[in-house]
Amino acid sequence: MTVLKPDKCIDLRGTPCPLNWVKTKLRLEEMEPGMLLEVVVDDGAPARNVPRSVETEGHRVVETTRLPDGVRVLIERC
Amino acid sequence: MEQVYFDHAATTPPREEVVQAMLPYLRGKWGNPSSLHHTGSRALEGVERAREHLASLIGAQPEEIVFTGSGTEADNHALIGSWVANRNRRNHLVTSSIEHHAIHHTAAFLETLGARVTYVSPDEFGLVHSEAVRAAITDETVLVSIMHANNEVGTIQPIGKIGAICRERGVLVHTDAVQTVGHLPIAVNDLNVDLLSLSAHKFYGPKGVGALYLRRGSTVASFIHGGGQELGRRASTENVAGIVGLGEAARLARQDMAAESAHVSSLRDMVLRELEARIPHLHLTGHPTQRLPNNASFCVSGVEGEGLVLDLDAAGFAVSSGSACSSGALEPSQVLLAMGIAPLIARGSLRVSFGRTNTSAEVERFLELMPAIVDRLRKLSPVAAC
Repeated sequence: MTVLKPDKCIDLRGTPCPLNWVKTKLRLEEMEPGMLLEVVVDDGAPARNVPRSVETEGHRVVETTRLPDGVRVLIERC
Repeated sequence: MEQVYFDHAATTPPREEVVQAMLPYLRGKWGNPSSLHHTGSRALEGVERAREHLASLIGAQPEEIVFTGSGTEADNHALIGSWVANRNRRNHLVTSSIEHHAIHHTAAFLETLGARVTYVSPDEFGLVHSEAVRAAITDETVLVSIMHANNEVGTIQPIGKIGAICRERGVLVHTDAVQTVGHLPIAVNDLNVDLLSLSAHKFYGPKGVGALYLRRGSTVASFIHGGGQELGRRASTENVAGIVGLGEAARLARQDMAAESAHVSSLRDMVLRELEARIPHLHLTGHPTQRLPNNASFCVSGVEGEGLVLDLDAAGFAVSSGSACSSGALEPSQVLLAMGIAPLIARGSLRVSFGRTNTSAEVERFLELMPAIVDRLRKLSPVAAC
């Protein structure tokens, strides 16, 4: 696990695509550049789609960690 | 002639910020929020941002917001959905005799389907007492629905107390907050409600969009059936631009509520104080202190409310009356009658409701005009005996 401490966290397990990405984007909009957002999503399509959309929008995926019941994505707001 | 608009309880002009927020969703971001592609996601973004703004305004979780086509639809959903989901074990509803038609006519419809409804009466100030609601609740009661503030006389109801009583009895609580959302600070947890209806156009948003707050875990059936929109609680492709407008109106209300409330309540107090001094036989209606900040309502003995509305309209002021002309006969307001006001007096009802752009100069002009208009109508009126 990373030692980086996120500034905000959201648990989006159970939230389907593309709503999980939209909710991630709304949180990122509220943050300052350089801040870290931790998002936990379901494994499978959400774990693939959310990081891809994050990078398409110009933010940085710092780390992806598989959890027993989901995937944790650490995002830097750019 | 530019008309001075003193009828904000009927509807409010959409704020320019609201219109500007909506326009991109009528042009470039016109996608279907349910679509998986980028065009759909851009529309979904607008809907979800609006959901968050509205949830913040009323102290709810975003997932507890169901967007609807109007406040009336939200009221229908609350009553019909609560009754349908629970009718096999509880078949009784409690409401008041001063609710909006959206509640009264829906309750009457449910009575035709076998529901039992109790209508609690208010006091002379239009206040529905929590103990009167407590007395009306039985073991069969599924839902209590009492409006947060009355649309005609502006009385604010003790919903927090009513909600607490319902909680003790395991009864669902709904409030029609169409007149208060965006105007009074609201926290659904303080109000102790499970359901709350609101409408965008009452607080500077667009028409054709409202919302139902639906507390997580409440047993309430869906009302409009079809697709899985709104987490399966309200089918139909979203009115994206309207919802975005509602969200922006909610954001602005949160930002400006305190200043606007202070402004309109000073105009209201000016009218209530001055009219009573200038016009004999004028009766203030509603509660002297527990009332909406923008609502001044009164009855003028010896005149018809409609006559006042029409004369004021000709003089450049838009106001409204509780009396409604149907089949050529003037019917006094059912709200005023339920408050115990005599029919002859209730026929002279007038409601003046202020908004953020009204000025004290406009109110001064109104106060100068009113005595002459009342004098003229009293001379013409067959019911002029005060």
